[in-house]
Amino acid sequence: MMGRKVRGRGMAASWYGIARTATIDRAGAWAEIDDGGTGKIVTGVTEIGEGILTLLAQVAAEEIGIKPEDITIGDNDTARSPEAAHAGATRQTYMIGNSVALACRDARAKLDRELADHWEVEVDSIEAFDGEIWSKGSNLKMSMEEAVDICKKRGVVPVGSGSFTAHGTGLDPVDGSGSPWQAYVFGTQVAEVEVDTVTGEVQVLGIWAAHDVGRAINPRGVEGQIEGGVVQGLGQALMEDYQLENGHTKTHGFAKYILPTSLDIPEINTVIIEDPDPKSPLGAKGIGEPALVPTAPAIMNAIYDAVGVRMTSLPATPEKVLAALEAKAAAGQLEAAE
Amino acid sequence: MSDFELEMVVNGKSIRRRAKPHLRLLDFIRDELNLTGAKEGCGAGECGTCSVFVDGKLVKSCLMPVAKAQGAKVETIEGLTPHGNELTPVQKAFHKTGASQCGYCIPGMVMAATSALRENPGAGIEEIKERLGGNICRCTGYTKIFEAVEIARDVISGKLSIAALEPDGAGKSYIGNNVRRLDAPSKVSGRLRYAGDMVMPGMLHMQVLRSPHAHALIRSIDTSEAESLPGVACVITADDVPGEDGFGVFVHDQPIMARGRVRYVGEAVAAVTADDVITAARAVSLIKVEYEPVAAVFDAEEAMQNGAPVVHDYAPDNVVKHIPIRKGDIEQGFAEADLVVEQTYDTQAVEHAYLEPEAGIAYVDHDDVVTVVSPSQNITHHRHMLAKIIDKPINKVRFIMSPVGGGFGGKEDMIYQGMLALAAMKTGAPVRLVYTREESIISTAKRHPARITYKMGLRNDGRITAVSFRMICDGGAYGLSTEGVMRKAAILSCGPYNIPNVEIDVYGIYTHNTPSGAFRTFGAMQSQFATESHMDICAEKLGLDPFEIRRINMMQDGAVTHTQQVLGSVSMGRVLDAAEKACRWDSGPVGMRGQERNDLGGEGTRPPCTLGARIRKTGDDDHQEVA
Repeated sequence: MMGRKVRGRGMAASWYGIARTATIDRAGAWAEIDDGGTGKIVTGVTEIGEGILTLLAQVAAEEIGIKPEDITIGDNDTARSPEAAHAGATRQTYMIGNSVALACRDARAKLDRELADHWEVEVDSIEAFDGEIWSKGSNLKMSMEEAVDICKKRGVVPVGSGSFTAHGTGLDPVDGSGSPWQAYVFGTQVAEVEVDTVTGEVQVLGIWAAHDVGRAINPRGVEGQIEGGVVQGLGQALMEDYQLENGHTKTHGFAKYILPTSLDIPEINTVIIEDPDPKSPLGAKGIGEPALVPTAPAIMNAIYDAVGVRMTSLPATPEKVLAALEAKAAAGQLEAAE
Repeated sequence: MSDFELEMVVNGKSIRRRAKPHLRLLDFIRDELNLTGAKEGCGAGECGTCSVFVDGKLVKSCLMPVAKAQGAKVETIEGLTPHGNELTPVQKAFHKTGASQCGYCIPGMVMAATSALRENPGAGIEEIKERLGGNICRCTGYTKIFEAVEIARDVISGKLSIAALEPDGAGKSYIGNNVRRLDAPSKVSGRLRYAGDMVMPGMLHMQVLRSPHAHALIRSIDTSEAESLPGVACVITADDVPGEDGFGVFVHDQPIMARGRVRYVGEAVAAVTADDVITAARAVSLIKVEYEPVAAVFDAEEAMQNGAPVVHDYAPDNVVKHIPIRKGDIEQGFAEADLVVEQTYDTQAVEHAYLEPEAGIAYVDHDDVVTVVSPSQNITHHRHMLAKIIDKPINKVRFIMSPVGGGFGGKEDMIYQGMLALAAMKTGAPVRLVYTREESIISTAKRHPARITYKMGLRNDGRITAVSFRMICDGGAYGLSTEGVMRKAAILSCGPYNIPNVEIDVYGIYTHNTPSGAFRTFGAMQSQFATESHMDICAEKLGLDPFEIRRINMMQDGAVTHTQQVLGSVSMGRVLDAAEKACRWDSGPVGMRGQERNDLGGEGTRPPCTLGARIRKTGDDDHQEVA
């Protein structure tokens, strides 16, 4: 005999392509190693909240050899920054992250050349990190601030540029064959739910989300993307529903269009898998969109595990779950009668 | 109504102003006091972005007439950190954990969290969640916010060292390092200005007239009365567009404002620019449009039938895009199957619900460059399109991205920037437009609703022999991103599995519904929802564990995809293993196993919410609460 509240678990797998689909994608960036040992990056990046500016500062800091907080990013202005295009297609870490890395390497090469000449060492021996620059195997070391000063006194402004390309190809119009992306990610999520068989309400109590991101440049940021994606997936699975009647919106505010709130949130357990991309300098791929792909089917599969009803129409609102339970009970009675 | 004298204390300062009685407290603090940390997310008390303290109590300032705050002590997010003061422990904890993403909900969220800990410094996580329940966040999934509030609580109480709020440090590399978000201080303090928070000297305000019909011919538009209203600077319609009028991510089928015909309820028809929003709104109501309603179609499958109303002349079959994918021999594949399973799936339209409604400012600069500042997700493409629409060389059009208060694909469309540019060109003044929540919901793109017909053939050992996948999506009235969404949905439809024979057909269809467009996953969520549901249905019939059926079929290194691309390294096996292990999965064939599972509850889950009335007992223990 089934109790009123029943739990179950379900899982779903997923895959996703990184950057623009079935076409060439490209992004550009400029870099300058600036006075005071700071860095200036200019690129048409679009921070929509995912944390791309911080990520680019980390990439630039690592490549130049300074601290992320010493990076200034001049971002999205079509009259001031090179094209890096849109925030979408899970492309910004991959496309713009790599173009910034290339731009910084270009700038560093110019700085290193001057410093190697100044120190009379091989240019390959020069390394830098966290605001200091040195020649490996020697006691030659100085701050990045001094290094920039020396470089400029020798008449060179250490500037660089980078352009990164992803080689997707178009699909054949007849059989759809083609290579739409050069990098793919994979993910799997497990959901644990509790179904109230009297009200039809489904609560998601736990989500385990394992996603390949290539390389996690900021692991906490990756978690944030997965948590946000899971909750959007949960919203679509259970409550969100934009309704129209003869073209007129019936859900024109948040009183009618129901969104997940703090009380709907499962514990979200993230596992980051790193399978580095071999075709790009950073090895990172992406996570923004793939995070929410498996959530809804994992929840539907968990509902089935709990109460044996297959929800094939989203969202699985309490009304729909109740109707499915009633239909199942009626079918069971019919079977018993036969 | 005449102004009245208003006195209150705001962030410790006595304020005396004349104010219009219709103002809400939110308008007063934002527009009169220039304190723009409190945001308008919905205007109906449903999202919490406008939260402030009034006499110490957390209040949604969009619901409070300013007259009600007469004599009150008001504290806004700016009051938490007077200029030069360091961030509060709550704000520092938000910074530390990465609790702010787009940041638009964050000032309100910080206020709600501050309120929670002021009301009950020892609040447990369940109470914290409850006290944040009136504040919506669309980016973070709330998890890092909960973590931040718990850290702040413990630092304030002394249970946790203040070091818990400090950055992690350089380590050996800044790659793989939890560097705190560089933009978080500006977001947790409310200092960051989004487009709707920006003002320019001499700025005018825009309001938009929208279609009440799903499909109608426009016989005439009479703007004369609106134009003669004092304070109105200009009225624009499709007639004001000097160049090639059309935008869209793939096909440029949508005019800046309706041209001769409206195709969905909420479509822009005309726009008024005036000295203030109220005058602009009044003028909008004076525009007279003569419509002739004509037959409309609201269902994608009906729109595909012969004789259905045609949405766009260039697509007489109402097909925006059909993406076919073929691999192998589908008939042979089903012939080889021991089991064939068919099922239909439906997914709904979904609203992006970014907390920042659309907003922007346009102006023509000293070098005659038409400049638009807006939270656009794709200024590169917007510049290309606008240059053609206003017939200017590309370097005379400039797009500047303002901070984006959430996008999720919904801000890829140039849905209002064209109107702003036209009005700035016509008036010579900066023009600002800020959408209401309702306007945002009814007029901007949604996730494509989809109907998927699935047929899968499998051998008794679980191997898939063939899949036939047909998906029909409602693209709504304009093309926007539909073509690309169909392509991605199709390519990824059948999941990360080796399937020798596939027949995939994905259709994006015009109807007279709200347009569908880009939304996080670009169609892949809908198509893979069907695949992953179907895998479980098939696993049950074959007596397989859900992980097992996926492992039997999963792509591995060197796999050939449904579009016949040869992959390199494939991490599918690793992510399956990782998820299975992390959740301590209790293996067994798919079925109604909830009653007998051994892996339920425990680590990694939360207790179910059993929220009822929370009664605060007074007496011996002030903080004892009974749920």
